[in-house]
Amino acid sequence: MASSTSNGTIRVGKKPLGQRMKKYWGFYLMFIPVLIFVAVFHYAPMFGIRYAFYSWKIVGDPQWVGLANFEKLFKQSQFSTSFWNTIVFSVVKLVLNTGMAVIISLLLNEMISIKFKKLSQTIIYLPHFMSWVVTASVFSLLLAPSANGLINQVLIKLHIIDEGIYYLADKGHWRTWYYIINLWRETGWQTIIFMATLTGIDPGIYEAASIDGAGRWQKMWYVTFPALGNTIITVLILNLAKIMNLFESVFVLQNDSVRRATNVLQTYVYYQTFNAGASADYGYTTAVGLFRSLVGLALMLICNWASKKVRGRGIV
Amino acid sequence: MAKQAELKYITPAGVEVPPPPHLNKAKSQYTVFHFINGFVFILVCLIILVPIWKVLIDSLDLTSGYGMKLLPTKFGLDGYVSIFTNKSLLQPLWVSIYTTVAGTFIGLLLSTMGAYVLIQWDMPGRTLFANLLLFTMIFSGGMIPSYLVMRAVHLTDNPLGPILLPAINVYNLVLMRNFFEGIPKSLFESADLDGCTPMGMFWRIALPLSKAALASIGLMFAVAYWNDYTNFKLYITNRDLYNFQMKLRDMMQSSDLPEAVGGATENTIRNACIITAILPFMILYPFLQKYFVKGINIGAVKE
Amino acid sequence: MKKLTALVLALALCLSLISFASADALKIVVMVDGTVLDQNNGRDAIEARWEELHPGYDIEFVQPDHSAYYDVMQQRISSGDWPDVLILSSTYYADYAAAGVLWDMTEAWENSKTKNSGRFTGDIVFDGLKIDGKLYGFAPTRGNGCVTYVKKAWLDACGLEAPTTYDDYIAMCRAFKDKFGTYAVSAAGFVGNEAPFVNYLPEFYQDAYPFFVQQEDGTWVDGFCQDNMKEALQRIQDAVAEGLIDKETLTNKTSDARNKFYDDKFGVFTYWAGTWATNLKTNLEANGRDGELVALKPLEGNPLYYDRVPPVWCISAACKNPQEVFDAFIDTMLDGGDTQMLWEYGAEGTHWSRAAETVLAGTEKEATYEEGQFHMKENLEKAGTLYTKNHIDPMLALAGFDPSYDDPMSVAPEAKAASELFNANSRLASIVPATPELSEMNGELTSIKSQIIADVALGSISVEEGYKTFVDEGGQELSDAIVESLNALN
Repeated sequence: MASSTSNGTIRVGKKPLGQRMKKYWGFYLMFIPVLIFVAVFHYAPMFGIRYAFYSWKIVGDPQWVGLANFEKLFKQSQFSTSFWNTIVFSVVKLVLNTGMAVIISLLLNEMISIKFKKLSQTIIYLPHFMSWVVTASVFSLLLAPSANGLINQVLIKLHIIDEGIYYLADKGHWRTWYYIINLWRETGWQTIIFMATLTGIDPGIYEAASIDGAGRWQKMWYVTFPALGNTIITVLILNLAKIMNLFESVFVLQNDSVRRATNVLQTYVYYQTFNAGASADYGYTTAVGLFRSLVGLALMLICNWASKKVRGRGIV
Repeated sequence: MAKQAELKYITPAGVEVPPPPHLNKAKSQYTVFHFINGFVFILVCLIILVPIWKVLIDSLDLTSGYGMKLLPTKFGLDGYVSIFTNKSLLQPLWVSIYTTVAGTFIGLLLSTMGAYVLIQWDMPGRTLFANLLLFTMIFSGGMIPSYLVMRAVHLTDNPLGPILLPAINVYNLVLMRNFFEGIPKSLFESADLDGCTPMGMFWRIALPLSKAALASIGLMFAVAYWNDYTNFKLYITNRDLYNFQMKLRDMMQSSDLPEAVGGATENTIRNACIITAILPFMILYPFLQKYFVKGINIGAVKE
Repeated sequence: MKKLTALVLALALCLSLISFASADALKIVVMVDGTVLDQNNGRDAIEARWEELHPGYDIEFVQPDHSAYYDVMQQRISSGDWPDVLILSSTYYADYAAAGVLWDMTEAWENSKTKNSGRFTGDIVFDGLKIDGKLYGFAPTRGNGCVTYVKKAWLDACGLEAPTTYDDYIAMCRAFKDKFGTYAVSAAGFVGNEAPFVNYLPEFYQDAYPFFVQQEDGTWVDGFCQDNMKEALQRIQDAVAEGLIDKETLTNKTSDARNKFYDDKFGVFTYWAGTWATNLKTNLEANGRDGELVALKPLEGNPLYYDRVPPVWCISAACKNPQEVFDAFIDTMLDGGDTQMLWEYGAEGTHWSRAAETVLAGTEKEATYEEGQFHMKENLEKAGTLYTKNHIDPMLALAGFDPSYDDPMSVAPEAKAASELFNANSRLASIVPATPELSEMNGELTSIKSQIIADVALGSISVEEGYKTFVDEGGQELSDAIVESLNALN
């Protein structure tokens, strides 16, 4: 708090804490509702984290087991595969989706016809409303190797391939299509936040750039893109904190043939406990959750640190 | 457009400039770039539409085919009729509407107030507050402890549960803060000198200047509330308090033993359910879009 | 706007605070899933009728969303908020019994009216429900399973009769393939992910079973490691390579498989017996196709179809008067009279009626009944359709009505036929007792097995390579450890 990072004002001296707090009393008051919500809905249930160190089979009292749950997790034979899959899938997906959303937003921003712009925006944001289960079932039809598979049929007509490929049954193809399907579903939705940022750009800056003789691409690159920078970094870092939660999108697209090669941590744990029925150990599940949180925290701290280095401040 | 042309544009430095060209472009400015750009979007939209088309056509087709079709084999609205003649669907629809409206309102209020406090960089304790919020994004207590807390505060089997619980969303709050940061500091400072209170600045400067942000984050809240299934599933067991998504899933589940109306097959109904869930936002979105399309210019506010 | 919101919130709060006070009657909290008609479908009428039949008791139903049932149940159990009576699937039944959540009803059952009524036909099912010789749950029905349906029109087009041997069956598939230019069989997955795993492709698996099985001498083996499994995998691989089985079986969801069947993409479909026979028929006919299906008996030399372990009604250990609740609630469910009628068909006047009336007036299915003629009434939720049953499927009930009682039995003929065929040709899928090794290692083991089955089926590896992979990936080791733990129980 000592350094004054504020952009507009630079305070040289520091007034006593009490005096500074008094100046901001109105703001503290405004923050109270937020604190109450966070306390009740997030901090109060956190007493549950301790179960990571217990064995608790839902009925009966929890038994203290120390780090046994973590040991169990780390020694699972597929732990490292699924751990790295989680990181790779999420990071690639995050970079691709955000990158594509930025490109689409920039292009939308250049569009002159307001009607066409609105129509395009409406269309590209629709896929977000289809649940993952539905998305998976439609795409497994589109990607079918038989005559029903539109994508194979198009590729055969174009003489790119000779016969239908069973994309979702092949480990290599599966990953590619996993990313494509994610792009299809989330790009439009992500553009919303970028479009909102773009409208906040002071139009005068474009004018100034034009006066300096900047062309379309220069303006896009030197004015629009940097204006998005802050939002892009925020979106990336906030999503990093959640990457270990990756589950549903992978789960619905998996099948017996590719499952072991494409498991992420969450799907792996799901199948581990699947046949265990009700006797699934709640302590173990909590330990996995805590592990995921710690990885998320580490990733976020690293990025926040990088952000501080590059931009002079973290994300919050 | 005419209204905009009258406004004066003032850069943060205070230099008055003519309105920027992209706000009063003439048709003659179409270039090769625009045609290519337009073409790219037509292509993108088509790709996006193919899978949705499949669902839409299946929902209007009384036969249940497996492959892709351009048009229904046997057109009929019976799928939708089966859904909407279902008397028990009105109550869940009403629950969805009021939880979405109330939740979005509370969510936006919390996000904007929290975000506004977080841009007070010199405020003692700001970093602590920020970290308190971030921490909740990463760590959670788990399903059963959350249930115990919800029950302790009497929010189980209570529509306030699914309204209040998702209202505090740190992700949205941080994005909101990001938008607030784009508002020139000088505006707040001059208001401060004029003796404006924090709350006053919040209502008179921060909110009016963030319409695009309010629209986009409000939309994110609204969609989350509308699509909410998990919170209803975990905290509501009284069927009178089910929302539309719960009911739709329930119908799709029980369509495992389908009893369709008229000529509709189970497949028709399932797809009609999917389209019905998308519909409200297909209708709502174009109305929100004006906030994304029209730029907010600082100059206009200063006037 | 703000005022409106506040009003809405206040209203909602008030609504949620209203609770129902109860009289002095003994209150029974009953937790049920979606298999009992819910609030929107006249559950209150069922409750009222039950309480009328059993004065002195007050039922309180807790009925979470069907798909969330076990989440909610788990929350309740772990937070000490136990109901008196609950419905459990076989997995939860075994675990909750072992954990001491359930009341031991062995003795109550032995002395029950139902067991000694002379109408009860489910002794085999109940033997299967016993854990260490003790019974913790009551199943009013059998579990149901899958039978193989063949399109009659396809058989006729090829001039064939329903096959009775595997050779005939394969010949039929080939004929279908040649005649219609498409695969003959499709399913959702080459192997199921829960017992009885092989129920969608029984003709190809035959007596092979990819899970732990108890041999006649009482010892356990892993069915996946037996020679009959290798032969089964070879049969599947050959059939997929020849184009007799849809290779998209790997990625099909059950709804995909059904849609393909309705769309005449294939002609032989192994699916649920009973009501589904009617559903398949109606959906085929809605597509303008011939809906007549032939339900096959198990092929010669093949084992019987698998019956699932049915869901059971249990009394929790927290129940204060378990014997009383057993007598009043559980032992009357199949009483052969009014209470059984209530559980099978619902409440008179709400779900069914014997009054003179016209149902579904103005629709194609309009029907007029005379006074005294039994009929189901229109669905409260889905206008234009009729109720078919309440909790107990009449076709699956483990006890019929008293000979003196007027049994309405109003079931579509094709559903009844399929059901009878299944009941006559099925056996209970075996229950494997839970050991710590099983619950710890089986997830991993199952995923290895499933991958090998899928890869062999699609022909990307041979059967031998598959079993080599099984050893390499550690499946053999896990399998041995579990078999050892099971044998240690004996």
